[in-house]
Amino acid sequence: MTYTISPLPHVKSRESVKSVMWGTVAALIPITIAAIYLFEFPAIKIILVTVIAAVVAEIIIYKAASQPITIDDGNAVLVGLILALLMPPSISDHIWVPIIGAVFAIAVAKYIFGGTGTLVFHPALVGFAFLLAAWPTYMGAQSTVISTPNLGSFSDILIETGAGRLVEASPVLVLLGGAIVLYKRYVDRRVALSATILLILLILITGKGWQLPYVLTGGFFLGLIFLAADPITSPVTKKGRLIYGIMLAVLILIQLHFGAYFTGMCFAVLMMNVFSPLIDRSTIPKPIGGK
Amino acid sequence: MKIATIKTPDQVIIPLQQHAGAACNPLVRVGDTVSIGQLIGDGEFRIHSSVSGEVTALSEMPHPSGKDVLSVVIETRNGEKKGIKPEELHAGTIKSIIREFGIVEPNGLSTISKKVDIDTIIINGTNTGDLSSNAALMLDYPSEIVYGLKALMESVGAKKAIIVIELNSEALHVMRTETIPDSNIKIVATPTYYPAGTENTLVKKFTRKKVPRGSTPEDRGVLVSSIAAIKALHDAVHDSIPMIAKTVTVAGAVRSPGNVLVEIGTSVKHVIDECGGCSGTPVKIVINGAVSGAAQYSDEVPIIKTTSGILVQTESDINREPPAPCINCAWCVDECPIGLMPHLLYGYADSAQFDKCAELYISDCVECGMCAYVCPSKLPLVQIIRYGKHGVAEMGLETVEVEV
Repeated sequence: MTYTISPLPHVKSRESVKSVMWGTVAALIPITIAAIYLFEFPAIKIILVTVIAAVVAEIIIYKAASQPITIDDGNAVLVGLILALLMPPSISDHIWVPIIGAVFAIAVAKYIFGGTGTLVFHPALVGFAFLLAAWPTYMGAQSTVISTPNLGSFSDILIETGAGRLVEASPVLVLLGGAIVLYKRYVDRRVALSATILLILLILITGKGWQLPYVLTGGFFLGLIFLAADPITSPVTKKGRLIYGIMLAVLILIQLHFGAYFTGMCFAVLMMNVFSPLIDRSTIPKPIGGK
Repeated sequence: MKIATIKTPDQVIIPLQQHAGAACNPLVRVGDTVSIGQLIGDGEFRIHSSVSGEVTALSEMPHPSGKDVLSVVIETRNGEKKGIKPEELHAGTIKSIIREFGIVEPNGLSTISKKVDIDTIIINGTNTGDLSSNAALMLDYPSEIVYGLKALMESVGAKKAIIVIELNSEALHVMRTETIPDSNIKIVATPTYYPAGTENTLVKKFTRKKVPRGSTPEDRGVLVSSIAAIKALHDAVHDSIPMIAKTVTVAGAVRSPGNVLVEIGTSVKHVIDECGGCSGTPVKIVINGAVSGAAQYSDEVPIIKTTSGILVQTESDINREPPAPCINCAWCVDECPIGLMPHLLYGYADSAQFDKCAELYISDCVECGMCAYVCPSKLPLVQIIRYGKHGVAEMGLETVEVEV
């Protein structure tokens, strides 16, 4: 009788990279459905095309580079889906814009930076920032598309009829997905909670109560929970993750002060991505028993 | 939960190394007749025969550590139990009792290593995962454990003792009832946590004393012991029986799992057969727990003093997923009981940057296996960290304190 021998542990948790990525995709399904309900055909078109573009881009690039193709880990689908959700519905008339965004996200932000695990900037945000810089008018950079839910009425929180982007269709459903990924630890709790709570507190303290509705949107919840707390781009040390969340909240507040709302938040997250390795390096913990 | 007894095997293989440190010297020769409790190996820890019979071989035999170890093979024959004369119990001699009766802690060390003032004794009564022998011992022998603990407290002069038990353990109530008259023995209920066996984390959690690197809990006046050792101490002090049997949890793909009392030297195969045999095809046999135990290459390995569990796994229990790149999820960082950065250690050790490993305190790792358990990328963290430790030791790199 021969037995398998291996180093410990002899049991492993069921969670895998696949379950983390696909689980995050699943948590975004409610808001995706809400977006389709609110924007109908354009939303379906944007989401399908962007996700397929991201997946096809990954297959082609990794094949050309003779790298193992790992689309089954769900990362490309997740990047495509988040990018699609950041689009304004009117982009469906210029569907080549999100296609370019998805290809840019995969080719530059993911492949060039070494793929899942080593990338520095969140690919979906990089794609979004690129499109915003290249075609601001198509991307709805004008303030006219800012959605401001009326806190007084519940229906606006559930379905935001004034939504300027797919993700803003329903703040509550983004929060629901966020609660799932936070519970499952698919995103980092420390980053997401410290950033969200501190941001709301800062807005209340600085007296600009009028800005609070601007923050309680699907876009902000997606940004703070799914993008900022994304495991790959956020720090790993316990202290570092708190610092990251705090710095992010302060940066967003500065952007808010200058009138940049959703896009300001996106750029704040991208800026913080730069600091992530630095924060990690300076917050290495002392083990117990260390001096 | 009752500890079952099993049939004494026809042959026992008693390794002369059942502890950390140097192996014992054999005191018997092939052809000698031995009786239960007879001293057969002497050294830093003594080893006694667990059966009566005839020594048929003295050779290198399989051992749970994976190496072949010089062992005494005894063909069993029924015989009388022969004890050792009880000794006077007073301060200073507990160490010699522990040595004479061959009591070894589950981690392979002696309960007391130095002569120092002990203030508190912590007994780890928690169980992890598939192991339940601590709870079984406390349920079956509560008064014996309290007796053994009091003997230990008295002899080292400890003023108080803490027995740590999980909140959901059946043993909690039994031990609470048992210790009502003793105000200086405290039963502490704790939520299940892992790895409960790490001394320094236990000490920090329950006495709030920090154990600096390079020193042991004893230097801070805290003695950490185990239910198994305390029970063995009772047997030694009260009945003059040396450590010749061990309560072992048999779990996994066996027909009747549970806790059984096994004579030291019994083969794993015999224990599994006595527990109804395997259900399904066994693919992996793990000794001492699924997370931090050791996989065995043979079922001929004997039960030794440090064995507390046997786990039989079938193909469906084993995760053979290939590793994926690290995604910086920080789950390993959150789980590490020592506060290390397992994913960084993995990266540095994998690329042989041993100086970086030393800077990140790689030698503090206790190899509990928790990082590799939670890792979604299924990285062989413990394996690579062990390689890193080896590299650090090889190069003589001391753990340096870096200014950050």
